[in-house]
Amino acid sequence: METDEELVNRTLSGETDCYGVLVQRHADYLFGLGMRFTAGNREFAEDVSQQSFLRAYKYLKSFNPKKKFKQWLTGIAVNCYKDLSNKESQYLSLEVIDEPSYTPDFGGNTGFFELIKPLAEDERTIFTLRYVYEYQIDEIAEVVGLKSGTVKSKISRALEKLR
Amino acid sequence: MNRLEAVIEKEKGISYSQRDKDLFRSHILILIHQEQESKRLKRKLRLSLFLAAATLSLLFSRISEIANDFTVGLSDAITGDVLTIANDFTVWLSDAITGDVLTTVVFSYGLLFALLPLLKKPDFIFN
Repeated sequence: METDEELVNRTLSGETDCYGVLVQRHADYLFGLGMRFTAGNREFAEDVSQQSFLRAYKYLKSFNPKKKFKQWLTGIAVNCYKDLSNKESQYLSLEVIDEPSYTPDFGGNTGFFELIKPLAEDERTIFTLRYVYEYQIDEIAEVVGLKSGTVKSKISRALEKLR
Repeated sequence: MNRLEAVIEKEKGISYSQRDKDLFRSHILILIHQEQESKRLKRKLRLSLFLAAATLSLLFSRISEIANDFTVGLSDAITGDVLTIANDFTVWLSDAITGDVLTTVVFSYGLLFALLPLLKKPDFIFN
């Protein structure tokens, strides 16, 4: 099986279909990331996933093969999530919609989604990366483009909110 | 804190699955192809616009020259034609007048000879 980096190289040399393999390989990962960032909004999560793959293709040349493709993709997904949540008002929280008889099917751990709802956008992403995906502080700092100290303080603030 | 850890542990065990992965992959690839086509089209449009602008600027730089040539040509044509037409008309008129005089004379004599017998019969005329 070819590695992600090999597939990236082949894609960059003109074999666009190789990118399809990368999409298939990481579709679940990005979708899961989107579900957790958006606290279970499936539609929003799918959009985050789609935009992330499109943006990743656009900036594929800037990918450093010495680093992990998955981590690079995570950084793109974080940025896409931020951009989409700032731009779009269509992703209304299910709480806001006044439909008393409707029980939303989150298709996941509603306890976790409820847990992270009080967190701010950046706290939510950092908290998820740290505790669910078990990224190291330095890795998170690189992914979200912040200093390690800032990441630490955001994690502390998020934990305080959740206690 | 235990509740928090329990929720996180439970979440770690859950895996989310993208619906219709093959369709999703195809959709992404189609969007990429569309984007590439759109870029190609934009590049071609930019090139066409550049060429059109260059051609127009070349034309505009020569437009006064072309207009001048056209005016002179038109003026010559008009002047030449008017003179020709005037000349032709004069010749034709001259011929026509000469021709008409002869015709009129012939016609008058003809009419005279035709009417002479009738003048001898005034009853026929006045009845």
